[in-house]
Amino acid sequence: MAPRWLVYALVLLAALSVVPFALIARSRASTSAQPHIQLILDMAKQPKLKTQTSNPLFADSRAMRPRVAGTVARGELEEDSAVWSGRDGGNWVTAFPVPVTERLMHRGQERYDIFCAPCHGLAGYGDGPVAKRADALQEGTWTPPSSYHTDLVRGRPVGHLFNTITYGIRNMSEYGSQIPVEDRWAIVLYVRALQRSQDASVGDVPPELRRQLR
Amino acid sequence: MSAEAGGRLFFPRWANLARPALAVALVVVPAYLVLLLAYGASPRTINVGYQPHQPVPYSHALHAGQLGIDCRYCHTTVEKAAFAAVPPTQTCMNCHSKIRAASAKLLPIRESYATGLPVPWVKVHDLPDFVYFDHSAHVRRGVGCVECHGRVDKMEVVAQVHRLSMGWCLDCHRQPDRHLRPPELVTKMEWVPPEDPLVYGRRLREATKINPSTDCWTCHR
Repeated sequence: MAPRWLVYALVLLAALSVVPFALIARSRASTSAQPHIQLILDMAKQPKLKTQTSNPLFADSRAMRPRVAGTVARGELEEDSAVWSGRDGGNWVTAFPVPVTERLMHRGQERYDIFCAPCHGLAGYGDGPVAKRADALQEGTWTPPSSYHTDLVRGRPVGHLFNTITYGIRNMSEYGSQIPVEDRWAIVLYVRALQRSQDASVGDVPPELRRQLR
Repeated sequence: MSAEAGGRLFFPRWANLARPALAVALVVVPAYLVLLLAYGASPRTINVGYQPHQPVPYSHALHAGQLGIDCRYCHTTVEKAAFAAVPPTQTCMNCHSKIRAASAKLLPIRESYATGLPVPWVKVHDLPDFVYFDHSAHVRRGVGCVECHGRVDKMEVVAQVHRLSMGWCLDCHRQPDRHLRPPELVTKMEWVPPEDPLVYGRRLREATKINPSTDCWTCHR
């Protein structure tokens, strides 16, 4: 029979062998702010510059360089003033400078729900969740967003609505950098549809459906 | 231990166990190490649970969850580009120039806005540099944000919840049905299919002819 100290050592070793597994199990069940351990680097970190990474060569440390002043990106040459600024000469355009299609309307609804509904609300009454929260927080710097369903906003030319999205108005920030130009027109179209939907009369209902109105 | 008899060294009888013990150890120790490595170095252990500290305590649970702001309000490039961009500081200031405009937590945002220097947000879901993942390809075919990022709309601080390992990617590329939804619903994190996800997803896949590639060059260029 092996001496007692050897038996004890083996039992202790067996017991200790469980410890690493216990530590791993604990780390699997919790979160960590430490970056991943890369066991095999294998080109996982390459000295190349990817989107939104940093480059110490530049003072602002941006790997992506801002556009050079005075240059125009492909597809962003503002050829058609009506499309790009909502203005025709000095006046707001009153007719859509892009083809109005059902597809554009659906696109407008989707984009509206993403970018506008947080403040303006899904129906455009200015009662979106962000506006409600600002009210609840009683922010003195906050002005409630406009409802679209007032004579003032209904009377705005589409070019004015487009310009408002592009550059903002009063409290509203500019969305020109967040929403591409064609999507801004889609949103204007959908806002027009919202206005129509909340300001409809019996005359807007097709005659064959009027009987269903109660 | 040893007994001296007539100037010769005798091993004790139990020393005969050394040979079978060595044989056992040669099997047990490598097996133990392999198990330890498989468990401890698995993507599930190493990748999942990464939750870096961010320069601003931005809560997705508040903005995306409680307020219901669409993912694309901030991550505007996700449908068109490979990279789902972290928004510029201007996007934060759309609201925070008026709401909580004096909050101490938002100081780095106001500094960035004033100086034009970027906020040093920390990337959470970071794939190896030899992987060319394209957000737009997935989002436009109806792979929801939640499939890879989990319920971000419930996270105060974003953590990685899926392995994002090669095997994990291939599981879906081989059998995507369970992870498909109508593309217009990709950002709806709470969405569940109206029927068995496998049946529903297969119909979507057949209708849209989605055929994910498992070729090497699909992800490794």
